[in-house]
Amino acid sequence: MERVELNIPSNPIFERVVRASAAEVGSAFGFSTERIEDLKLAISEAVNNAIDHGNRRDVGKLVAVVFEIDGEKLEIRISDEGGGIDKVDVGRHTVEEANLEAGQLRGFGMYLISELVDDLEVSSSHRGTVLTLRLYRRGQP
Amino acid sequence: MSDIIRREEFGEVAILYITTTSVDAISAAAIAAECQAMRPITVLDFSEVAFINSAGISALLKFVVSARKAGYKLFAMHVSLHHQKIFKMVEMSRFMPVIEERDLAEYRVA
Repeated sequence: MERVELNIPSNPIFERVVRASAAEVGSAFGFSTERIEDLKLAISEAVNNAIDHGNRRDVGKLVAVVFEIDGEKLEIRISDEGGGIDKVDVGRHTVEEANLEAGQLRGFGMYLISELVDDLEVSSSHRGTVLTLRLYRRGQP
Repeated sequence: MSDIIRREEFGEVAILYITTTSVDAISAAAIAAECQAMRPITVLDFSEVAFINSAGISALLKFVVSARKAGYKLFAMHVSLHHQKIFKMVEMSRFMPVIEERDLAEYRVA
């Protein structure tokens, strides 16, 4: 198993650092360009959720990102230090006219993650939330 | 005018060239601010954009909202295949269809 670990402050600028690392890890894993773009977007969404909703942009709190390559599997765990969440909605979320009228222009993140990875797990407690994303080499287009 | 958007206008058309490579949480506010200066036909050009996430999509939706309020048409141009896939996933393409550069030729002549 090969492992890469990053810890970033809860400042959105550092999401770009994780994204750049995701591109390198995806490349090392042998993903196609398209699959690397999927990986970057899924991780970006997870990290931004951790920064915004988990750690509430408290730069004193860290977002931990662990990449693990294990055979045909790439697993990424994104952890925050927030107070946890009750429920995660990974249902289909698209642009709707009613939402545009109401000014509700956000909320696509979890849906995109669920569409772009092969497997998604969420565990949450009062000590924080961990998103585990899994992508498989054989599953790439 | 922001450094993140470069404008070109002719007739009723405005082409807004997004000059950042990342349409994300960092660039979203500056991009969204440009939705205050749209034309009846507004085209967002993505030729320099390498990455868009949901924070970026939210910024782009502000153009959709502004266009709908003003009765303007909004299009996207030079969108990568990956971003076309993402736009389709969230059904953004219904509100900001992708056009080709040649589709603007008649407006440039006029």
